[in-house]
Amino acid sequence: MEGLNFNIIDISYLDLIISLGLIIVVAGISRWQGMYLEGDLIVGAVRTLIQLLAVGYILKYIFAFDRWYLVIFIILIMIIVASLTVTQRQKKRTIELPFIVGFAMTAGSGITVFVVTQILLQIKPWYDPHYLIPLAGMVIGNSMNGSTLAIDRIDSEIKSRKMEIEAYLALGATARQAAGASIRAAMKAAMIPTINSMMVVGIVALPGMMTGQILSGTSPLIAVKYQIIIMYMIALSVAISSYVLTNIRFNRYFTSDHRLKEESL
Amino acid sequence: MNKPKIELHKIEKNKNGIAILKDINLKFFSGKKHILIGPSGAGKTTLLRLLNRMEEPTFGVILYDGENIKDIPVLELRRRVGMVFQIPIIFDGTVKDNLTVPYRLRVISHPVKQDELTKNLELSGLQSDFLERKASELSVGEKQRLTVARALINKPDVLLLDEPTSALDHAAGIKLLDSIKELNEVLGLTIIMVTHQLEYASLLGGRVIHLVNGTIVREQESEDFFLNSEII
Repeated sequence: MEGLNFNIIDISYLDLIISLGLIIVVAGISRWQGMYLEGDLIVGAVRTLIQLLAVGYILKYIFAFDRWYLVIFIILIMIIVASLTVTQRQKKRTIELPFIVGFAMTAGSGITVFVVTQILLQIKPWYDPHYLIPLAGMVIGNSMNGSTLAIDRIDSEIKSRKMEIEAYLALGATARQAAGASIRAAMKAAMIPTINSMMVVGIVALPGMMTGQILSGTSPLIAVKYQIIIMYMIALSVAISSYVLTNIRFNRYFTSDHRLKEESL
Repeated sequence: MNKPKIELHKIEKNKNGIAILKDINLKFFSGKKHILIGPSGAGKTTLLRLLNRMEEPTFGVILYDGENIKDIPVLELRRRVGMVFQIPIIFDGTVKDNLTVPYRLRVISHPVKQDELTKNLELSGLQSDFLERKASELSVGEKQRLTVARALINKPDVLLLDEPTSALDHAAGIKLLDSIKELNEVLGLTIIMVTHQLEYASLLGGRVIHLVNGTIVREQESEDFFLNSEII
């Protein structure tokens, strides 16, 4: 079979510890240049090591256990953590925000992952963790960044377009119509990084997942095909998430009778 | 005197615990010009914004043609009661694009009638050949006229004007006032204008309502009001 005639060099724990030496060099540069990032760097490096090793063991267990509910549980955890991360990055945090973000990301990544795994790849069993977990992880991670950008942008757009919005409302526009330009700008802001990365993928940088597949012995052509699908999945997932999110978020700035809420600006 | 178009009964408006409007009882009459004057912070703009429900009163009732404005669908009310803001807000595109916005906002789209666009432009003091011009390239005075023309597309009965001349130079301000007078005479529009510029208030004429600290201190016909100017 294509791609399996490759001897993978296993990385020992000693190798991992030695690789921390790279971070020590960075810490040295930081000190030398007076950046004083050494503390954060060390913490970050250690967290990377612990978090990823933990995930590795968990995934190993899940792959071996092979149960649908465990796969769904892991994906739910990803969505919850991503939603909380998006919420934490916001200046205006509201109690409902993590739920809205979670809903938007579930919609975006759920639809996308379903279409690709069940209709396109037709994986068997439907929950095959080898496919579902990495694919969901990729789209949720990117939707998280898109959602953060979308919320930031819709908040700032509504604030800066206050007069335009009121002009629309005074002409008989609904709140949705009046906020239309803000919603479009926020969705655009969320989509641009994905579109940009589609423009340069393979030219400026090799994507992490594709690199990982090649390193683990997959034929570059298969890795590339997967990467293409992943890029398209990310685009759809970010589009759906940011659409759902911005269309829910703008409501907090309006009353049900189409008035701009001064106090929320 | 005509029948009242809009009536305010015991209106109070508080913002952040501060009383902006106190016990306002007021009538605006159909087809008449009204000018709200007073120092800044008197509550003039707030009062104006209550009339098309851009803001809600804390207490009191507002009637439009005898009906509580809360019982009129708000989008319908805002079409009947048009509004022009202090700073002209121009949308992207041409003058025509701006004028067709009210058509596009309707759920059931109305066909754009070219003659309606030019008629409203001319009524607002702009020539019909402005239609294809880029709206952002107009002068401030022309932009303000365009916002008036745009508000007219909804065929309102009442036009609210919130300091419409304050961003304009004197000549442009006078021209705009002439157009507003014409709108009142030709279309029979009920005009309610906020201004702090007494000259414009006296030029427009009509009923003057003088607000101070959220209270009406005087209400009189323009000729009588400006006979005794030291009261301002």
